[in-house]
Amino acid sequence: MLARSGAETAAISAAALLGALVLFGAFVALRGLSPLEVYAALFLGAFGTWFSIEQTLTQAAPLMLTGLCTALPARAGLLVIGGEGALVVGGVATVLVGATLAGWPPPLAVALMCMTGALAGGLWIGAAGALRHWRGVNETICTLLLNYIAIAVMNHLVTGPIRDFAQVLKPASWSIGERLMIGELPGTSVHWGLAFGVVACLLTWGLMRHTTFGFAVDILGGNVRAAQMAGLPIGAMVLATCFVGGAAAGLAGTIEIVAVHGFASSSLVVGYGYAGILVAFLARQNPLAVVFVAILLGGISASGGLLQRRFGLPDAATLVLRGLLFVAVLAGNTLYGRFKIFRPPAA
Amino acid sequence: MTEAPPAVEVLGMTKRFGDLLALDGVSLALAPGSFHAVLGENGAGKSTLVKCIMGYHRPDAGRVLVGGREWAIGNPRQAHRLGFGMVYQHFTLVPSMTVAENLVLGAEDLPAVIRWDEERAKIDAFQRRMPFAIDPARPVATLAAGEKQKLEILKQLFLGRRILILDEPTSVLTPDEADQILKAMRELTEEHRLTVVLITHKFREALGFAREVTVLRAGRRVGGGLVKDLTRDDLARMMIGSASIPDPAARQATASRAIGLEVESLNVLNDKGTVAVRDASLRVHAGEIVGVAGVSGNGQRELVEVLARQREPASGAIRVGGAVYARTRAEMRRHRVFVLTDEPLRNACVRTMSVAENLAFRNFDDRRNTIGGWLVSRRALRAQARALIERYRIRTPGPQARLETLSGGNVQRTVLARELSEDVAVLIAQNPCAGLDFAATAEIRARIMGARNAGAAVLLISEDLDELLELADRIVVMFEGRLVHETSRETADAHTIGHYMASQP
Amino acid sequence: MPPATDLGWWGVVIAVLGGAARVSTPYLFVSLGETLTEKSGRVNLGLEGTLVMGAMSAYAVAYLSGSPWLGVLVAGAAGAAFGLLHGGVSTLPRVNDIAVGIALFLLGTGLAFYLGKPFIEPVAPRLPHVALGAWSASPQIRAALEVNALFVVGAVLAPLLLWGLGHTRWGLVVRTAGDNADAAKALGYSVGAVRTLSTMAGGFLAGVGGSFLSLYYPGTWNEGLSSGQGLMAIALVIFARWNPIHCFWVSLLFGGATALGPALQSVGIASNYYLYGAAPYVLTLILLIASSSPRHALAGAPSELTISK
Repeated sequence: MLARSGAETAAISAAALLGALVLFGAFVALRGLSPLEVYAALFLGAFGTWFSIEQTLTQAAPLMLTGLCTALPARAGLLVIGGEGALVVGGVATVLVGATLAGWPPPLAVALMCMTGALAGGLWIGAAGALRHWRGVNETICTLLLNYIAIAVMNHLVTGPIRDFAQVLKPASWSIGERLMIGELPGTSVHWGLAFGVVACLLTWGLMRHTTFGFAVDILGGNVRAAQMAGLPIGAMVLATCFVGGAAAGLAGTIEIVAVHGFASSSLVVGYGYAGILVAFLARQNPLAVVFVAILLGGISASGGLLQRRFGLPDAATLVLRGLLFVAVLAGNTLYGRFKIFRPPAA
Repeated sequence: MTEAPPAVEVLGMTKRFGDLLALDGVSLALAPGSFHAVLGENGAGKSTLVKCIMGYHRPDAGRVLVGGREWAIGNPRQAHRLGFGMVYQHFTLVPSMTVAENLVLGAEDLPAVIRWDEERAKIDAFQRRMPFAIDPARPVATLAAGEKQKLEILKQLFLGRRILILDEPTSVLTPDEADQILKAMRELTEEHRLTVVLITHKFREALGFAREVTVLRAGRRVGGGLVKDLTRDDLARMMIGSASIPDPAARQATASRAIGLEVESLNVLNDKGTVAVRDASLRVHAGEIVGVAGVSGNGQRELVEVLARQREPASGAIRVGGAVYARTRAEMRRHRVFVLTDEPLRNACVRTMSVAENLAFRNFDDRRNTIGGWLVSRRALRAQARALIERYRIRTPGPQARLETLSGGNVQRTVLARELSEDVAVLIAQNPCAGLDFAATAEIRARIMGARNAGAAVLLISEDLDELLELADRIVVMFEGRLVHETSRETADAHTIGHYMASQP
Repeated sequence: MPPATDLGWWGVVIAVLGGAARVSTPYLFVSLGETLTEKSGRVNLGLEGTLVMGAMSAYAVAYLSGSPWLGVLVAGAAGAAFGLLHGGVSTLPRVNDIAVGIALFLLGTGLAFYLGKPFIEPVAPRLPHVALGAWSASPQIRAALEVNALFVVGAVLAPLLLWGLGHTRWGLVVRTAGDNADAAKALGYSVGAVRTLSTMAGGFLAGVGGSFLSLYYPGTWNEGLSSGQGLMAIALVIFARWNPIHCFWVSLLFGGATALGPALQSVGIASNYYLYGAAPYVLTLILLIASSSPRHALAGAPSELTISK
């Protein structure tokens, strides 16, 4: 049964991916490009060389964490799309704390920054969960608004209160300093953030799949009235899933600071949060699947540069492909249960 | 409304859903001005028959003749044009709109731009010729159930429909309201202004108002004729056939007088924020069934929701076994409180989870179903499911099948197995047999009675007065959120209770 | 009257009022469109993407054809196309309309950035305006009271929509689909089709609202043109209780809030520019919280709506 429903998910997801690629092919064909060459470039840019694989994995790291930000609350029945804002908040909080830790031993300082980022992101999305549960505020609209608020607050901070005027290219915050930056995984140019992402997905998968908490969350997500009737602590569960999801996205912000930028700026706002929504949907809210889907979407992002160089396609081409993929995935939802071969055999 | 309805003949209607033959060559003749009851229990094919006539289903075989001519009815609009109108069990009114808006809504010739002064004049003229009338300016949301049902019928007549199909129209009405509406329908047929087809499972309505009757069982016509030639026993025999009905649940004397469930001065708001349950107090003793009678929509749903923790009370106290009951999972377990609701898919199950998982909602975190207290043991859940599937005869491909792949009756059995398999001290049951056939109904009633006999305090909320009269030790009547009447089993009388349900003591 | 060059704090007030009329136009169109869509029982959360797509297509067409009004029309058509996509996919069983909205939000912005790349540099003709401030000698007042023709169209559209919902067959059918899908089915209407058409009409209006951004104010096309106006307009519908006239007034309020930052900057208070930029989002959030209730559904919401369940 499990294998069958897994096969159904894999088949329908693959069909959605195929459908999106076909649409995208038709789309680039309108420009007079050969779809096959574009597909080849997509693959080459994503997985074709060791270098492109490294790029893909680097992109995938934050996507795993922002994917969890949508996937975990979704298991409790909430449609949270605040990964972008939680990432920004986590990044800014990391800088605020990290800039004061100059003399600390790096491992301790990094651990502290990770906790700070996770806590900030967790509280940010947790607040949306609390508003949902105790005020009935629609969490989707609320978290989307929180994205814009987070970005506005960050822009305010990096252009004023915490601006580092030594940075001339664009307004940026104080730096945490080279000493506190984490490096790459041994033998690669992929930073440690990937390990953080994979571990976070594995841990949450175990939590959701095997614990009584995960079982209770599945009841809640499947039917809130059934969860109420079973006497489950719904407010606490909503809060917990939102907090953990937000913490994951906040941690993604920390990683962007400690592994990539070293400071907060508009470079944090590159759409990892929004791509994470697609990751969660494509993974059907399964944290283990999030790992693989994030790598797939990381590949699409990573190949953007090659598409631009080779075909002169705007960098937004990958956004179009992602959007098409999202629509195809949702349309694919209608196919579940339609195919007899995926049904369990009658006993 | 001067024109008489045309004669209608339905010939050899057959409809298959997958492997199930839902309707098997059923024919029906409706002379102008006839009042024809289609009688049958749930699943007998009554709704399928009328849905085929109305064009909702495409029949696999069968013809409809209207005015002697054959018509292919492909959708409800074509049926409407031929004069067919349907009144459903559930209201099809638009609550946010006014009575007038609801009346004109279905008009075939509704102009693109509506001139409300003209429409209003038409409505007023129409209502003067009708046996009942409703203020056209009122929003439908403010109407009582009886008024809504009248409006449903008025709407069909206003739209010029001459052949009215009433699908269990009285399920939301008090007995008096039902009589009033059916009597008015009967008069309209006697004046040959209307043909009525009444879909029902109530003998009383078929015998009391119809002139002809057709009885369906398992998709076939098994009997019928003129009502005046038939008795209640005839109809019952046709309806139930040779299927053996389990004996009525035996009531045993119970000794304990301890209070199981107590509700004191409970006030509850509904979704719109208005008071649905008003100052309700009641006690249910161990080994006793207290029935709550009332027409649907008088606060029963909100009362059950509060007891099932699906709604927060505005004020008041709930006690179980003498202790304050905050409805936490720990308390539910300690006091062994269980709930059977109607619409189990909406209220008590997760359709995308497996049968085994659904059976474990009450005890997945019990020591015996976990490893170390916090890891769920799927093996233990499967073993539990296999035992319950066998004991409660749940028809499922296996414990791992998704609940949504089960039939409605088996979903109900799944919930029953979950809520009644353990030692029950307090049971809250709401319309537990709604939508089930005779055999399943009898079985569930027997199990509820069994729980009572074993010492459970049972609060049974039902819209079916016969069910309450059969099972309850005491009956209270709920009207507009208040408990307005209480009677013991010995003194209970359907007529009096019916009056209190309409609050006309 | 103080000298024209030094209106001081009055300048802020006038700028906010003028800005309200100016900035509110996209809010107005999007919220009217979303009101219509939600009245039919669907939520289109993707109107932010539609808005950006409308802005881009309007700008591109106005530049290529030289006619801003043709640009407006094409923007509407693009919005309707997105509405068709939303409606079509959401009509499939087991597909959540809110999720489809999010997908189209992302697809719309992505597509607009992709197709709009070549149009960031060129200058397109702008939409005309009505000079309500012609009486004044002060250029600040005159600038503040230039009202765009589309604003006037929107202001007329609001009562028209209210009338249409109550006095036309289509209005009744749309409301029926939004309040009781079974009733609409019983009447023989296809609920999916009614909702898809309503989403298309809503998308058309949102697209037109987008054209205002690129063809009038701010009056250019770039990738940072809209930052959540489409989304806020959707939240605004909840606060306006699905009433088109309320949409008009609340749009003005939002326009004023958005205009606050630039207005303060114009009198030299620029230090907290980004913080004022957050004002409309914070205002939206506060209004959203105020409109919600944990105990019962959103007041005035069509009962088939997914966000009110």
